[in-house]
Amino acid sequence: MLAERIQPMAYQARRIYVELMFKVLGSAFQAASEIDPEIQQEGKALPTGLLFEMKVIPDGPRMIVEHLGNGRFLSHGNNPPRPVDLSIQFKHIAHAFLVLSFQEKTSVAYAHDRMLVDGDIGYGVRMTRILNRLEAFILPKMIASRAVKQYPANLDLPEKLLTASRIYLKVATKFLKW
Amino acid sequence: MSNQFYEFFCPVKVIAGKAALEHIPYELTGLAAKRPMIITDKGVRAAGLLDPVVNACTESGLDIASIYDDVPPDSSTGVVRKIAGIYRSEQCDSIIAVGGGSAIDTAKAVNILVSEGGDDIAAYSGAGILKRALKPFFVVPTTAGTGSEVTAVAVITDIEKHVKLPFTSSFLLPNAAVIDPRMTLTLPPHITAATAMDAMTHATEAFTCMARNPLSDAYATAAIRKISDNLLKVMDNPRDADARLELAQASTMAGIAFSNSMVGLVHSLGHATGALFHLPHGLCMSLYLPYVLEYNLESIREPLGELLLYLDGPDAYAATPGNRRAEAAIASIRKLRDTLYKYCKLPRTLKETGAVREDQLDNIAELALDDGSIMFNPREVTLEDARAVLKRAWA
Repeated sequence: MLAERIQPMAYQARRIYVELMFKVLGSAFQAASEIDPEIQQEGKALPTGLLFEMKVIPDGPRMIVEHLGNGRFLSHGNNPPRPVDLSIQFKHIAHAFLVLSFQEKTSVAYAHDRMLVDGDIGYGVRMTRILNRLEAFILPKMIASRAVKQYPANLDLPEKLLTASRIYLKVATKFLKW
Repeated sequence: MSNQFYEFFCPVKVIAGKAALEHIPYELTGLAAKRPMIITDKGVRAAGLLDPVVNACTESGLDIASIYDDVPPDSSTGVVRKIAGIYRSEQCDSIIAVGGGSAIDTAKAVNILVSEGGDDIAAYSGAGILKRALKPFFVVPTTAGTGSEVTAVAVITDIEKHVKLPFTSSFLLPNAAVIDPRMTLTLPPHITAATAMDAMTHATEAFTCMARNPLSDAYATAAIRKISDNLLKVMDNPRDADARLELAQASTMAGIAFSNSMVGLVHSLGHATGALFHLPHGLCMSLYLPYVLEYNLESIREPLGELLLYLDGPDAYAATPGNRRAEAAIASIRKLRDTLYKYCKLPRTLKETGAVREDQLDNIAELALDDGSIMFNPREVTLEDARAVLKRAWA
């Protein structure tokens, strides 16, 4: 009886968590691209104007970022200004929750067929690398190690702390503006 | 509870063995198909491999409505459009692909157009676009390596836009794969070796990469055993039909394995090398396999060690200490490559290919990093890692 009452609330909480995480990730994506030269280097190979989304199909939460050129990205929240060019899609919100709550690495979710890439696979691989680097910055090492395939060996603590605080500051500023 | 999860799917009927081709008319009739079109290439026709297929059909009163034998090695959207036009004008109702990867991929793409309508194959590019079954489609492989007869993908070049269009859908899978030893009996030694090593790589990567699962493991290990037991027999005696059949079956089994568990860095490097220097895919697979296994070693020690059983047999496996089996498996693959080099000069290093310069390794590394298969490699590959593997593979 109690479980029946709690379950819808749990589902609702899971959806809210995924929505929030997408919001944070989108903003952090933009912030990290303004700060980290490695992310900029990765992004440079992408076409300017590329619109990328990560979403839960069919019409669940999503985040949209646009490549402005030179490896810089702009977060569009969950509203694409035009049809997206590249989409990474979770098959179910439960799968997105597994990844965004760091119970399953992004690479493992791919391997488990929980996600689909619609668009140029090469760009999808590149965006996943950027996402991995972003997670390595903004998450504590213990949690980041659960999120990415391999925690970057060359990321030392001072660099991580400095970059993470700059990313969080930019994200917080953006959230305050909202 | 762990997060273990997998998907496995292979609805292709495998028709394998002596006189397998003669099953085609019965199988086509079972799908209400009466006017099949054969899609193949000039090499297959010149080798006389089309005759047993056509004869098998006509003997049963099933006329081949049309034969298209001009599929190029890198098929394009224009070729697909042209073949679809012939299919329609000849009122065909089914497709038989006879050949290697290119003929099979072309036939898959033609099947999309003739089933879904239209002339623009690019409109169907991507994953999951197709929503219903296509026309009856059979595949008769003439090489033992690609495994395309059991994969749900096709790649076609859009020459005008200079891009490769990927098509992914389970509806691309043929209704049947017909494995007949007659189709590979005349395969030249270097192609036999390269394609068998392609299958070996499919199986090895399927067994050691991130999306491995119990069902694909079973296919992968069985494929490795068949290749290990039969490849050198075929190199010794190319007319050994039984060993040829074993290799062809191994190729199909490896195809089933990797299409359900994906592949890793060997394929990323191989795709990049093939795209830049037009080297045959199987050759690239054979070339990179041991170097990538060495790079991945600490992440795949356990499964790789297990493969020794299928590579060298139970005696060698039992005689090797558990902590040395992974290295022994790599050594076994190296030994096989050395033997193949003696038979047919199948290159073991990039230098031996004579097609790549040392100062071009960076180009391969950069391109390989954007290859989709890199996602499934057990180690996260950086540009420096890819460069290091290429340097080892150089000479």
